[in-house]
Amino acid sequence: MKKTNDNPTFESYNRDPKLFDEIFDENDNVRDIYKTLFNLYSEHSAKDFGRLNNKAKSSFFNQGITFQVYGDHEIKEKIFPFDLFPRIIDAQEWELIEKGVLQRSKALNAFLWDLYHDKNIIKEGIVPLELISSSANYLDQINGFDPPGGIYNHISGTDLIKHSDGKYYVLEDNIRCPSGVSYVICNRTALKRALFGVFNHYQAHTVTDYAENLLQILETVKPKGVDVPNCVVITPGIYNSAYYEHSYLAKAMGVELVEGRDLFVENDFVYMKTISGPQKVDVIYRRIDDQFLDPLEFKPDSALGVPGLMAAYKKGNVCLVNAPGTGVADDKAIYTYMPEIIKYYLDEDPILNNVPTYHCSRPDELEYVLENVHNLVVKPVDEAGGYGISIGNKLSKDEIEEVRKTLKENPRKYIAQPIMSLSVHPTYIEETECFEPRHVDLRTFTLLGADKEFVLKGGLTRVALQKGNLIVNSSQGGGSKDTWVLKNN
Amino acid sequence: MNLEYNIRYAAKNTYENEASKALWQFLIIPENNETQQLISDEFTNSLKIQVEESINGYNFRTYKIRPKERFDEVEFQADFKLIKRVENIFERVSLEYSKDEYKILRSLEFRVTNDVFLRSTALTKLPHQVEFQFDENISLFENLQNLNSWIKNEFTFKTNVTDIDTDLNHILEIKQGVCQDFTHLFIAIAKEFGIPARYVSGYLHQGNGYFGDSQMHAWVECCLPSSGWIGFDPTNNLLAAENHIKVAHGKDYTDCPPLKGVVFSSGKNETEYTVQVSAQQQQ
Amino acid sequence: MLARVANNLFWMGRYIERAEHVARYMNVNYFASLDAPNELSQSRQFVLQSLLFMADDFSRNDHELNEEQVLYDIALNPDNAFSIINYVKLARENANSARDLISTELYEAINKFYHFVLNYPVEQFQKGGLYDFTVQVTENVSVLRGKIRGTLLHDEVYAIIMLGVNLERATQVIRIINSKFKDAVLAQGSYGDTLKNSYEWTTLLKCAESYDMMRRFYRETPTSFTTLEFLILNPDCPRSVMNSLNQVSLHIRKLTHEKYPQKHTSGFLIGKVRAKYQYKIIEEIEIDLESFIQNILDDLNSIALKLEKEYFHY
Repeated sequence: MKKTNDNPTFESYNRDPKLFDEIFDENDNVRDIYKTLFNLYSEHSAKDFGRLNNKAKSSFFNQGITFQVYGDHEIKEKIFPFDLFPRIIDAQEWELIEKGVLQRSKALNAFLWDLYHDKNIIKEGIVPLELISSSANYLDQINGFDPPGGIYNHISGTDLIKHSDGKYYVLEDNIRCPSGVSYVICNRTALKRALFGVFNHYQAHTVTDYAENLLQILETVKPKGVDVPNCVVITPGIYNSAYYEHSYLAKAMGVELVEGRDLFVENDFVYMKTISGPQKVDVIYRRIDDQFLDPLEFKPDSALGVPGLMAAYKKGNVCLVNAPGTGVADDKAIYTYMPEIIKYYLDEDPILNNVPTYHCSRPDELEYVLENVHNLVVKPVDEAGGYGISIGNKLSKDEIEEVRKTLKENPRKYIAQPIMSLSVHPTYIEETECFEPRHVDLRTFTLLGADKEFVLKGGLTRVALQKGNLIVNSSQGGGSKDTWVLKNN
Repeated sequence: MNLEYNIRYAAKNTYENEASKALWQFLIIPENNETQQLISDEFTNSLKIQVEESINGYNFRTYKIRPKERFDEVEFQADFKLIKRVENIFERVSLEYSKDEYKILRSLEFRVTNDVFLRSTALTKLPHQVEFQFDENISLFENLQNLNSWIKNEFTFKTNVTDIDTDLNHILEIKQGVCQDFTHLFIAIAKEFGIPARYVSGYLHQGNGYFGDSQMHAWVECCLPSSGWIGFDPTNNLLAAENHIKVAHGKDYTDCPPLKGVVFSSGKNETEYTVQVSAQQQQ
Repeated sequence: MLARVANNLFWMGRYIERAEHVARYMNVNYFASLDAPNELSQSRQFVLQSLLFMADDFSRNDHELNEEQVLYDIALNPDNAFSIINYVKLARENANSARDLISTELYEAINKFYHFVLNYPVEQFQKGGLYDFTVQVTENVSVLRGKIRGTLLHDEVYAIIMLGVNLERATQVIRIINSKFKDAVLAQGSYGDTLKNSYEWTTLLKCAESYDMMRRFYRETPTSFTTLEFLILNPDCPRSVMNSLNQVSLHIRKLTHEKYPQKHTSGFLIGKVRAKYQYKIIEEIEIDLESFIQNILDDLNSIALKLEKEYFHY
């Protein structure tokens, strides 16, 4: 089956032989796993897709599944664009991903325990001390503290890409407050509404079991002496860009969604103010950053947190999820040591590849980077959301000089990696009313509890809607796709 | 020989406009350690609110108070009784010079173990080289004693020229300041050389005419490979000993202010406090 | 349930109800005035004054009002605190913070309503869109009422929303009575009718969507006497103050489990206020309607304050 023959909506689909195409092989044949879907989709005209696309958009908008974008003068409400062509991952490929992300999460947890206790990996010279001591995310306050259940990164979001060699690579491990899981579930619902028929032809795993597993994980790390823990989700409030997700998770778990002002600490126990008086809180899934948790310990002017929360946490009367201080391992510089970290704690070889990385803090590697800026992606080590990234082959001569200057001034702040070519996937483009190839990545969600682990069988396939753009973050105009993990036949 | 101390801490907060909610945290309770033993502590306030006992981020004991009614003025008073062991610091310190001391100081193991107190903070960052030089031909302890007297000689104790946010740049320029400024400076110079150093907040017995006002005092503790943590008081060019009653330590002042508060009120507010320390020799 | 969220649900209910009453008052008054039987009632200035009087703060201006401006201010002016658009915004903001507690269906309906009002073209509104806009607002609110009733578990969440809805309904009906009473006083005698038989009573009933019900109940042309009796005291009229108080007293029972509420509680106060009006007769009210109105507004306000203190304090 060739791509253009029987499907008019693929007329303007130009396969780039330099990139890995998720649905067409190098001879323009549809890959086996996508054949049925491709056939089903060719029954629809371009007009049909246009109509379905609009329906899906207004459905997201009406449901208020939106995020806020802060402009110069006003706040705009935007939907996270949803694409009608789902991404399919077969059972075998998924097995590798699942094992791989679980391995990384466990290694990171062991690494965090070590960093806040004996620090053996540093003493043995495997990870440089400077990486930790210069990190603003290392919290002295929990040095020597044992978090309930021994878990730091209860929730990890691992970002993967498929390179032109057809292999998966991990781009980063998000273990502070990874977001996006609500979109996984919304995308599934939206695709079912739009094209329910296609689900009859594939055996895809459900994604709606995330919330119940999350609640179980939260319950495994309850404080000592608590029988049935009272769990809550804490949010910065309705103006936060991920507020929809916070409310979704609270609702799906059947727990209260609280703000800092709803909680108070008395005698080192945490209570929430309800209509029938104070009620004790045992486990807090927090979606606010460390620095805002407790004005007595961190930013003194933070109104988002709860004064006295850290003392309650350290006394073991409440569990915070993810643990404060995980940010130190959620750092692009730490990422580059992941193969060594996995080997050190688990005595295993990494299942998933790491992108080779150059540390600008090392003089010889800085030299290489300075000479090859045009062939590399240069990233700041501590910025999230796709800001401050420069992609070498997209830069003008002047811009390259500019990057060189920045690197020389502040080498510790940057790392560089070869330009990875993200795989492409057919994506409905409104302007041309056709499917065109666009770059995609994949965020997976891993849960770690005391004696329990879970990887969501599915994930968030993020897609860069602008032609040629490699950055898939929602704040940079990216969209997303439903992602099917197939059951073993 | 032991000393018996009576310490009184009294504070008064006034608010221009009535405040509705608040939470105060007091970091003023003397710690129990090898040389000091707290016998009793009592804490009262004019609003008659029940006092909670808690800890701060570094596990030092704190008092917490949370008023439920509106207020525009509040007074606090704490009384502590404790026994302080009089010790000769020089017995604890290895005075012998040894090159190994410097070797251990630079070992990865030692640096990793003491990492927290080797990091520079905004208040303990040296803006440029200072005149003081370490001499590796004498012991670390001797070097630190020299640093102690260097600060005492070069800088003048003067109140109201600096405040809690003053950085070292300014202090090095005006060559004046109070105990916390000299403590920050000492810490910065020691850390620069690779000696773990921490900020100590506590009470000073002023019977002997030392500087320290009638306020909380500040000094430095440094970790020496051969002798552990030793206290230096650069304001008075002393080793911290029986006249120094420790409350808490941290990386710098921001980790151990005696009073932290979250108060919901508009307008200005003022805090005044005084400290009285009296000692008696125990038979 | 969190006290803050309960407070938000309460106000969500109030703002939804308020938006509807203001919209209907605009609609009915404006269009009734076009063919009103007397000259004053037909005058544009008279109607605009009445609209502002009801929507804002019970005061009348002396200066000439601009029709376009007044209608825009009450309906769509986002900078105006008493505009419909602001009430809908606030309702949605309150719903946002209680999003995990209300049904997806209710939230989606509120959200759609919000986007409808937010995106209503001002130009179209000013070029004769008054009827369309106000009708759509009242219809949207009907949908919301259905979603509240039909898609929420009838537990505390529902009870708190209903407390807000009913307290607001009683308040708005009283405000409408107050405005129309003033109109009737001003318009009386201008073509020979008396206050008792004023045309404004019919308008008043229509403003409270109660004209048909009232005709069915009394089988005669509305007078001041029958209109006030029906809108204030008739427990079977779903818009009457008495009916709203009965609802309030029904829903407070979801929040308190005491059979005999203690004297400092909201439950006690609600029972007391309800009993006061249950045995009121219209003859007493008619003697001094103005004081009566002030009185009942104070009563309703004191219930809201009590609820806030007992349940919504955070």
